[in-house]
Amino acid sequence: MRSPSFYFSKENRVILSLGMLSAAIIAFQLVLMQVISIMQWYHFAYMIISIAMLGFGAAGTALALMRKKLLSAASWLVPLLMCLSGIFMIFSVWLARLQVFQFDVYVLFVERSQFGILAANYLIFFLPFFFGALAIGILLTKNAGNIGKFYFANLIGSGIGGVLLVFLLSTMFAIEALPVAAMLAVLAAIMGFDRQRHKGLQSGVIVLGMIVLIFAIRVPGEVPLSQYKALSRSLLLPDARVVHSKPDIHGRVDVVASDAMRYAPALSFTFTGRVPVKKNVYTNGEFYGVIPHFDTTVTNIHDFTTEALPYIMGARDTVLLLNASTGTALAHALQRGAAKVQAITGVHAVKELMENEFAEESSFLFHDKRVQVLYQDSRQFLFSAKDNSYDAIILPRMEAFGGSAGLNALVEDYTLTIEAFSQMWNKLSDDGVIAVTSWMDYPPRTTLKIAATLVQALDNQGVTDPRDHMVAVRSWGTITFVVQKSPLDQAVAGKVRSFCREMLFDPVILPGFDPRNETLYNQLEDDSFFSYLDKIIVEKDPDFFESYSFYVAPATDDKPYFGRFLKTSEIQQQLKEYDDLPFLELGYLIVWITLAQGAFLAIVLIIIPLFRLRSKSRSKTATIFYFGALGLGYMFVEIIFIQRFILYFGHPMYAIAAVISTMMIASGIGSYFSGRFKLAHKVSAVSTLIVSLLILLYAVSLTPLLMHTINLSLAVKVFIAFVLLSVPAFFMGMPFPSAIRVLDANRQDQIPWAWGINGSLSVIATALATLIAVEMGFRVVMFFAMILYLVAFAVALINFARQKPS
Amino acid sequence: MFYLTKITNLLVMGIFLLPAVSKESTAQNFELQRSQMVETQIRDRGIRDRHTLRAMGKVPRHLYVPQNQRRFAYTDRPLPIGYGQTISQPYIVAYMTEIIKPRPDFRVLEIGTGSGYQAAVLAEIVEHVYTIEIVEPLGETARAILEKEYDNVSVKIADGYYGWEEHGPFDAIVVTAAAEHIPPPLIEQLKDGGVMIIPVGSPFRVQQLMLVEKKGESITSRSLMPVRFVPFTSSD
Repeated sequence: MRSPSFYFSKENRVILSLGMLSAAIIAFQLVLMQVISIMQWYHFAYMIISIAMLGFGAAGTALALMRKKLLSAASWLVPLLMCLSGIFMIFSVWLARLQVFQFDVYVLFVERSQFGILAANYLIFFLPFFFGALAIGILLTKNAGNIGKFYFANLIGSGIGGVLLVFLLSTMFAIEALPVAAMLAVLAAIMGFDRQRHKGLQSGVIVLGMIVLIFAIRVPGEVPLSQYKALSRSLLLPDARVVHSKPDIHGRVDVVASDAMRYAPALSFTFTGRVPVKKNVYTNGEFYGVIPHFDTTVTNIHDFTTEALPYIMGARDTVLLLNASTGTALAHALQRGAAKVQAITGVHAVKELMENEFAEESSFLFHDKRVQVLYQDSRQFLFSAKDNSYDAIILPRMEAFGGSAGLNALVEDYTLTIEAFSQMWNKLSDDGVIAVTSWMDYPPRTTLKIAATLVQALDNQGVTDPRDHMVAVRSWGTITFVVQKSPLDQAVAGKVRSFCREMLFDPVILPGFDPRNETLYNQLEDDSFFSYLDKIIVEKDPDFFESYSFYVAPATDDKPYFGRFLKTSEIQQQLKEYDDLPFLELGYLIVWITLAQGAFLAIVLIIIPLFRLRSKSRSKTATIFYFGALGLGYMFVEIIFIQRFILYFGHPMYAIAAVISTMMIASGIGSYFSGRFKLAHKVSAVSTLIVSLLILLYAVSLTPLLMHTINLSLAVKVFIAFVLLSVPAFFMGMPFPSAIRVLDANRQDQIPWAWGINGSLSVIATALATLIAVEMGFRVVMFFAMILYLVAFAVALINFARQKPS
Repeated sequence: MFYLTKITNLLVMGIFLLPAVSKESTAQNFELQRSQMVETQIRDRGIRDRHTLRAMGKVPRHLYVPQNQRRFAYTDRPLPIGYGQTISQPYIVAYMTEIIKPRPDFRVLEIGTGSGYQAAVLAEIVEHVYTIEIVEPLGETARAILEKEYDNVSVKIADGYYGWEEHGPFDAIVVTAAAEHIPPPLIEQLKDGGVMIIPVGSPFRVQQLMLVEKKGESITSRSLMPVRFVPFTSSD
C-alpha cells in the first residue's frame, strides 16, 4: 500500500486537477446543449460542439503566440484559468438569458441583427471553453515529455464528466446541473495550486469561486424560452399556468393547464359536442401531447378524425402503439374495443407522470389491465418484440400542426425508415394493419414521403400493386394512410366510403375511387397532390424523386432523416417560388450556418493569428495535412458511432454519453501507451493505418453485428458497445501525441500549427459530418473517415519517417 | 438690424409651426403610402371587390401597429404586435375580406382581434363586426382604438372557442389565427349559406387559407392560397 503522500504528490495533484477540469468542461458542454435546446431548438447542439472545439483551437493558438510567458507563469496561471473557466460557466449562461442576448431562430433570416446576437452568443459561450482549454494546453505543453500520462488524465476526465452528466440530467434540470460542472472546475483550481507558493491566491480563488457557486445554486433562475415555442404561446392563454415540471434525460417536461386548451386535431365538421378542456404536456417547450380523459361513457373525439380509419376497416383486438406519448391513442384503442394494447413511450418522465401524478385525471389509463406501457424506443421494441399477431400497429400523428418548419430535418428517426415499416409488416396478424396519420402540408412533402416509404416497404414484401393493400382518407387537415396485410376487399372499401360520407372526409386511395372524378367535401387548390401520389403509388416512376422539388424519397436506416426535405440543388428555385425557404427548411439551414460561422471564427481566431509566428522550418504542408486529417477523421468516426448507437441503445443521450465517454477513455489509454514506444514516428504511421483498416472493417461489419445483438440485455449491450468502441478509439488516441513528439524533436515551431489546424477542422467536423450523412448516408461518412486516416498514414510514412524518432 | 429682426421672427415662427407642419406632412405621407399600397399590393394582385378596395384605402393601418413599427405600416409584409402575434400583410387582409363577399347587411364574427385592423376594414363595409381576442393586453389596445373609430364594432376579451352566441348566426366568420380544430360552436353560429375563412398551419410558417361553406346539412372546405404569418422583426 502506498503512502498518502504518493497520492497527493505535486504531480499527481496536478494530474487529478487536470482530470477534474476535463470532466467539468465536458459536463458543461452537455448542460449547455440541453439548455440551448430548451431556449431554442436542439440544432444549436451542433453550435455548442463547434464552440467547444473553437475554444480549444483558439487556446492552442494563444499558447503558440505566448508560449514562454504562459509556461513561466503556469504554477499560478493554470489554477486561475481553471477557476475562470468555472466562473464563466455560470456567467455565460446568466448572460445568455439576458434579453439583449436572446436571439430568435424564426427571425434569423429576416432580421440581420439576429446574426450579431448569434455571434455574441458564440463569444459568450466560447470563454469558459477557452479558459479551460488554455489551462489544459499549458499543462500538456509543460509536461510534453510525459504527455501520455497527462493526455490520459484529460481524456479519462472527459469520459467521466460525460457519464456523470447523464446521471445528473435524469434527476435534475439542466440549469440545476450547471453549478455541478462549475464546481468541478473550481475544485480543480483549488487542487492545482501550489499551497506553499500561492497560498493567498488560492484563498482568493476559493472565496470567489464559492461566492459565484452559492449564487448559482441559490438563484438558478428560469431558462427563457423563445416566444415562438409552443409552451410560450400556450402560457399567453387565460389563466395558463405550469402545473407540473419534471426533469428527464430527453429534456424538461412541463404540464400546462388553461381553460382555453382543447385538443381535437382536424376534427370533423360533423362533431357537435363540446371539445373537452385538457392539460398540455411539453418537452423542452415543444408540444408533446395532452393528458387524456379515459371515459367510456362519452364519445372519443378521435372517432371524428381520420385516425379512426384503422378501426373503421375492422375490429382490432391486439394493438401496438409506437411513440405513444401521453396515451391519447391508447384511450382511443381501448374505447374501440381493443383487448390488449402495448404502448411504447420514449420519455420516462411522461410515463411516470401518467402513472402517478395524473393517474386519477386520466382514469388510471396506464394502470388498465388490458394495457402494457413500456418505456423503450419504438424501433428497439420492433427488434425485440416476439409477438407477430398485432391487428393494428399505429404510429403517432406526424409533424407538429402544420409542420415544424423543417426543424426535424436532422432528427434521426429509425421508426420511419423502410426497414422499420418492413419489420412492422412482419409483426401483423393476417388482417392486421399499419396506420400513419399526418397533417396535410403545403407544398406536399410529409404526405408524399409517407406514401413513398409505405410503397417501398410493400415492394420489399413482394406486393406488386400497393393499391391492393393501401387506403388513405383525408379530412380538411389530416390524411391517414392504412396498409393492410391481406388484400382489401369490397366490404372494407364500402365501410371506408360510408365513414367518409358520415364525417365529410374524402377517400384519397381506395379501390374504385378516383378523387379527380368525384365531388369532394374538402377541395384542394389543384389536383397536383393526386398526380404526385399516382407517380409514387401507381406508376412507381423512378424519376419522380429526382424531378420533384423536395426530397421525398423514403428514409432508410443508412439515411434515417425522415424530416429532411430540402434539396440543396433546388434552393435557388425554391427561394424564387416560395420566397420563404427558411420557413420550409429551417433546421437544415441552421447546420449550414453553424458550419459557415464555425469556419469563419476558426479562421479568425485560430489560423490568422498563427501567421504571426515566424517559422524556421520549410514547408508546413505535412503538419497541416496530418493534423487536419486527424481533426476531421476523429470527429467523423465519433459522429458515425453516435448515429449507429442511437439505433442500438434507442436514446440519443445514452448513445452520445456512451460513445463520447468510451472513446475519450479508450483514446486516453491509447495516448498513454503511445508514450511507451520510443519510435514515435512509427507509432504515428502504424496507428493511423490500423485505424483506417478498422474503419473499413466496421463499415462492413458494424451494422450487421449491432443488428444481431440488439435484442440482448442492456448490460450485455453496454459491454459489446464498450468493446466495439474502445478498440478503434484506443488506436485513435495514439497518432496525435506521437506526432507531437515527432514535431517536438524536429520542428518545434510547427507544434502550434498542429494544434491550430486540428482544432479548426474539429470545429467544422460535426456539422460537416452531419451534412454528409444527410446528403449521402452514414457509409459515405465512414468512407471519408477512412480516407482521412489513410491521408495521415501517407504523410507519416513519407514525411515523418525522415525525422528524428522523438 | 431690420434683417436680423426679420430672421429672428422667422425662426420663432418656424419653431412653433414646425410640429404642426410635420404632423400634417406625415399624415399626407401615410395617405400617399396607403393609396400606393392599394394600387400595387392589392389591386395589382387581383383584388377587385370595390367595397374591399375602398375600405383598404380608407382605414389608417399605421394606427393599428405599434409606434416603433409605424414607418413599416404600409409595406408589403406582416408586422409584429407583441405576444408572438402579428398584423397580417395588407394583401392577406384584403384577400380574407374579399373572399367572404361582404355586403352592407352582413353581421361578421372575427376570432382573434389582434391589432384590430381586420375588424376596422370589415367595419367599413358591413353592418356590424363582433370580434373576440383571447390575449387581454392585445384585446384592450384594439378595443380602445376600434371603439373610438367605429360604432359598429363590438370587442370581447374571451376564449373564441364559444363564438358569440347571442349575436349569431353570422353571415361570415373570419378566423385570423390558425387553429388545429374548428370549434363546433362556430360552425353552429354560421348562417345557412354562410362562409368561414381560416388559416391552416403553424403560426410561424407557410400556411394555407381555407374557406368553409355551410349549405344546409352539408359543410365543405376549400383550400385557397398559401400565406405566411411570420414576423419580419422580433417583437419588443
